[in-house]
Amino acid sequence: MLLIPCPHCGNRPELEFRYAGEAHIARPADPSTTSDQEWAEYLYFRSNPKGLHIERWRHVSGCARFFNCVRDTVSDKILKTYPAGQPKPDLADIVKEAHQ
Amino acid sequence: MRFSFLNLAKQALSAHRHWPEQWRFPEPKAEYDAIIIGAGGHGLGTAYYLAKEHGMRNIAVLEKGWLGGGNTGRNTTIIRSNYLWEESQGLYEHSVKLWETLSSELNYNVMYSPRGVMMLAHTVHDIQVFKRHVHANRLQGIDNEWLTPEEAKEFCPILNISPNMRYPILGAALQRRGGTARHDAVAWGYARAASAMGVDIIQNCEVKGIRRDAQGAVTGVETTKGFIGTKKIGVVAAGHTSVIMSMADVRMPLESYPLQALVSEPVKPIMPCVVMSNTIHAYMSQSDKGELVIGAGTDAYTSYSQTGGLHITTHTLDAICELFPNVRRLRMLRNWGGIVDVTPDRSPILSKTPVKGLYVNCGWGTGGFKATPGSANVFAHTIAKDEPHPINAAFTIDRFKTGRLIDEAAAAAVAH
Amino acid sequence: MSDSKITRRSAFEGLHPIQVEGAVTVAPTPYATRFSFRGDSKAASACSKGFGVMLPNALLKAESDNGRTAISLGPDEWLLIAPDGEVEALEAAIEKALDKQHHSLVDISHRNTAFTVSGPKAETLLASGCLLDLHVSVFPVGMATRTIYSKADIVLWRTAADTFHVELWRSFVPFVWGLLEEASHEL
Repeated sequence: MLLIPCPHCGNRPELEFRYAGEAHIARPADPSTTSDQEWAEYLYFRSNPKGLHIERWRHVSGCARFFNCVRDTVSDKILKTYPAGQPKPDLADIVKEAHQ
Repeated sequence: MRFSFLNLAKQALSAHRHWPEQWRFPEPKAEYDAIIIGAGGHGLGTAYYLAKEHGMRNIAVLEKGWLGGGNTGRNTTIIRSNYLWEESQGLYEHSVKLWETLSSELNYNVMYSPRGVMMLAHTVHDIQVFKRHVHANRLQGIDNEWLTPEEAKEFCPILNISPNMRYPILGAALQRRGGTARHDAVAWGYARAASAMGVDIIQNCEVKGIRRDAQGAVTGVETTKGFIGTKKIGVVAAGHTSVIMSMADVRMPLESYPLQALVSEPVKPIMPCVVMSNTIHAYMSQSDKGELVIGAGTDAYTSYSQTGGLHITTHTLDAICELFPNVRRLRMLRNWGGIVDVTPDRSPILSKTPVKGLYVNCGWGTGGFKATPGSANVFAHTIAKDEPHPINAAFTIDRFKTGRLIDEAAAAAVAH
Repeated sequence: MSDSKITRRSAFEGLHPIQVEGAVTVAPTPYATRFSFRGDSKAASACSKGFGVMLPNALLKAESDNGRTAISLGPDEWLLIAPDGEVEALEAAIEKALDKQHHSLVDISHRNTAFTVSGPKAETLLASGCLLDLHVSVFPVGMATRTIYSKADIVLWRTAADTFHVELWRSFVPFVWGLLEEASHEL
């Protein structure tokens, strides 16, 4: 089971959370001018990386807030969590921090 | 060398010390007419049918690990074709028909056992969904029948049909022609037959890049054993599909999740069929070794770890102990995980791609084993003819753009 | 229709008492008034005036005064608990203090119910379904949080060194109580 550092509540067991998929995927501002391809990209196409993944979690059985998370999908190690609304961090910086 | 009574007897006279290796271990050639990436059941099968049915023998299957070491070596061996939509029924039923004669076709015992697959209904919603599947199957000539709880227990005597369960069994849908096979044997059977026809299976060879010409067409692959030229690449890499396809700048509607399974200590035969419960989230069968083979849903987050959390296993066993009370005394022997590539509609992709010469077979999620022969067969056709077979024509990447999804979330059973 | 009467019933009716001599006692708490309040820090200040207790800014804290308690469950979510029978009065007072500031105030007096777990083995009993480290060094008196007990959402609040107050939805009581009772046999 993962131990997930919620930005509000601190380290909590995975069972208190619900996974919410890849982060920083913006809903097209005007669906009526969005092409089928762009709409499909938004709904269905994902990076699915083998390595650092930026994703969302929701602390449903805790503070109930969404937040963002950088996790290595090979080791499942969580490198960073940060509140919803903050911008995508520089992954190179995160790797550097992790090695310090 | 063929497996036959005569050869068995001959070899026995020298204490079985002279059986030849079952497949060759060649170094890669500089170029092939086609390259399959991924030596799982689907990949090896594709190579077999390319050689057997399309005369393409100057081909290679590249595998970064050992053949059959991915999901093919980790699944829970279930075979069935009781899916909802006509497109799916065509694909899975094509597979079931091939399963029925696969051992004799490959001269290799894949231990196909049509012992029956029973899907349990625990709620009114379950009843409605499974009856709909029964009707849909029978309209297409696929066997599927509705059972009462008592009939379900008659078919599987260790099943708990007590009304005191948290979610009592209200009925079941049974496909008698469904069942199991030996997962490793399928990989080995296809590998042996393909290798004998000249297909090079190159293990410990990881693809690191896909080279394309100025027009964007495929010219070969960069691997840990060097560059290998080809004009046709079939990507059959399951959980690693997104990784490989990104080498050709193709994004996929896939997410790779851990899927766990476990086995009990071996016991005498107590479980005559396969039982699956979507609602209370577990399924079980018994292998010919005597181990109860138990599976469940994926972990919640994407991962390439092939691990997953123990809480999934514990919750699965809660359900198993409720469904089969006499399992409570058994020890669990071994558990493991794989990487399953899941699509938004829980149906696979067997398709050409926007890149000339690049074909992809993926998105089987938690249910690829059952489709091994059928998938390999039509994917070989797609590669050889540069056109899909009618059976896989609907399973395109494009369907996610056009909206023609093939929603098999219910039929995908426990793991959705 | 004229003869119908609404009878208030305890969610704990018919349940076996849980008591292990010298180890732990699990007991239902009296009926209470409860609200779920959501709003930003300005609205929370205003709500504090109407409620009579400072809504804590720090997370996962319980602040009590005069029999009323405010628990911060998230950055903009509080659970307010007061003695039974104060719903109308408190609702009026809080809405007046908020004076149309953006907020959400919901009466959950009948959705929630609660029990206490007390005694030297209170932590051990709760550990049968709660995944958190309950040791007083990391879960001190006055700390409260939403979490899970087995599969049920609860709000867990440490009111004393050996006492926890557990808030949960009425319909989860038989499930949680049943598991606690089973676990109590192992103490």
